[in-house]
Amino acid sequence: MKPPACELREVWVAYGKTPALRGVSLQVEQGELLGLFGHNGAGKSTLLRTLLGLVSVQSGEVFVEGVPVHQRYPPHLRQRIGYVPQILRVDAGAPVSARDVVMMGQYAQIGWGRLPSWQHHEAANRALQAMGIAHLADKPFGHLSGGEQQRVLLARALAQSPRLLLMDEPTNSVDWQFVRDLRKLIREVHEANALTTIVVSHDAPFLAGLCDRVVLMEGGKTLAEMPASALLTWVGQEFV
Amino acid sequence: MWMSLWSEGFMQRALLATVLSGVACSLIGVLIVTMRLSFIGVCISHAAFAGALVGLHMGISPLISSIATSLLAAGVLGPLADKGNLSPDTAIGVVFSASIALAFLLLALLPGPKSEALGWLWGNVLTVSRENLWLLGITAGVLTLLTLLFFKELQAVVFHRELAAASGLPATAVFYSVLMCSGVAITASLSAIGGLLVFSMVINPAATAYQFTYRLSRLFLLSVLFAVLAGWTGLALSALLNLPSGAMIVLVSTAMLLVAVSLSPKRRFGGGGTR
Ligand SMILES: Nc1ncnc2c1ncn2[C@@H]1O[C@H](COP(=O)(O)OP(=O)(O)O)[C@@H](O)[C@H]1O
Ligand SMILES: [Mg+2]
Repeated sequence: MKPPACELREVWVAYGKTPALRGVSLQVEQGELLGLFGHNGAGKSTLLRTLLGLVSVQSGEVFVEGVPVHQRYPPHLRQRIGYVPQILRVDAGAPVSARDVVMMGQYAQIGWGRLPSWQHHEAANRALQAMGIAHLADKPFGHLSGGEQQRVLLARALAQSPRLLLMDEPTNSVDWQFVRDLRKLIREVHEANALTTIVVSHDAPFLAGLCDRVVLMEGGKTLAEMPASALLTWVGQEFV
Repeated sequence: MWMSLWSEGFMQRALLATVLSGVACSLIGVLIVTMRLSFIGVCISHAAFAGALVGLHMGISPLISSIATSLLAAGVLGPLADKGNLSPDTAIGVVFSASIALAFLLLALLPGPKSEALGWLWGNVLTVSRENLWLLGITAGVLTLLTLLFFKELQAVVFHRELAAASGLPATAVFYSVLMCSGVAITASLSAIGGLLVFSMVINPAATAYQFTYRLSRLFLLSVLFAVLAGWTGLALSALLNLPSGAMIVLVSTAMLLVAVSLSPKRRFGGGGTR
């Protein structure tokens, strides 16, 4: 039997003295497209950062593909997690092109002191093409619009050939017309690459139309879980 | 008569020192400007100056004591900026003012003529010692090598530290190493350019180069080029007009920055605002 794609057991995480996760348990099966829903400050981003090993776990256990990662994160596992962060504040004049950003996802896999091979460049080109932004490849990243940056970051994650894709508030920096495209795009990427995907959002309609299952978070805890189709009804009744 | 100056041994050493400190400072400068660590850099250079004075007091080599204090400052500031309860600005402000205060206290307490101490303050590229030249050479060489070997990692960390860490790069180690290398580069350049001026030699060429390119590799190349250009022009002017060399080098590099900003296709000051 396949182990869950990732799992948290009674996980506590704090920034300084304020806890951000208070005993969260969550299991995500391989191939699942999970939505993580909650108000600002609920701990959604922290949960993603915990899966990435970017914050230290005070107590509890974290597993990725059945391997414990809360003490020491095996590099090969982390290299196969695609992460599309919330908002990037990048200087408009920053010395990186869209292509550079897409390549960067693979740098850890390439290893220090080595140049990327043609396979790595190919992977970047394919990802840029899949996101429909091949024509933007050589533009400075800081000159792109929010939606374009979002696609570049998604391409970056894809070029990593990830098994797990984590997206934090993907609708935040894009206008409403792009939201529908984005939903289609995520769905396609998820299916075409046989990924396990977790999408964090405080946008209930967006998650309802995208995910298989949705987990609700509040105050650093998971509150409930339901099929995505039930989210809007639930939100209308209780979560306002 | 003026031309014959260039064939003098001390002048050739000065030219070499300018090139080497130009390379060391500008490589570090690119990282400091793009990672927006300017205040940390200021802080490290003043800690290095205070360290030189500590060395003079205790009768040990000012070079060694200033390396020690600048590495100490870099080692303290990194973690402070990262996870202290103080905001990074506050932490840096505290270390900065403490090292200035320490430097001036030591300066006042120093017995006898203060010319050697003031030499560390203002710097003098014409009296750079042989051991200092070696240190500069090794520093410039090692920094160039490190930049080439870890170019990808530096690029990823410059772009976004957390994203770099998330993809499995040792982003924190890269960040701290940059701070440590700044400490060494600044200290090695101290006696040539002086504690008060060395920091502008770190920032100016990088900020000048920043006006002209969106590619990190070109940023490194242009920055080194502008640093060496400013160094030699400043040195020539100082010999010609009989003015302090460190000050002239910095003024020339400032002038270059001003020209670059006004010509810039980007019209943006180095490391400036976010969009
Ligand atoms: N870097 C940080 N330092 C201190 N507190 C933080 C930090 N990031 C998040 N927090 C706090 O942790 C809690 C959870 O934040 P977060 O995980 O970002 O929530 P969400 O993504 O659901 O909006 C919030 O109370 C927030 O203020
Ligand atoms: Mg968040």
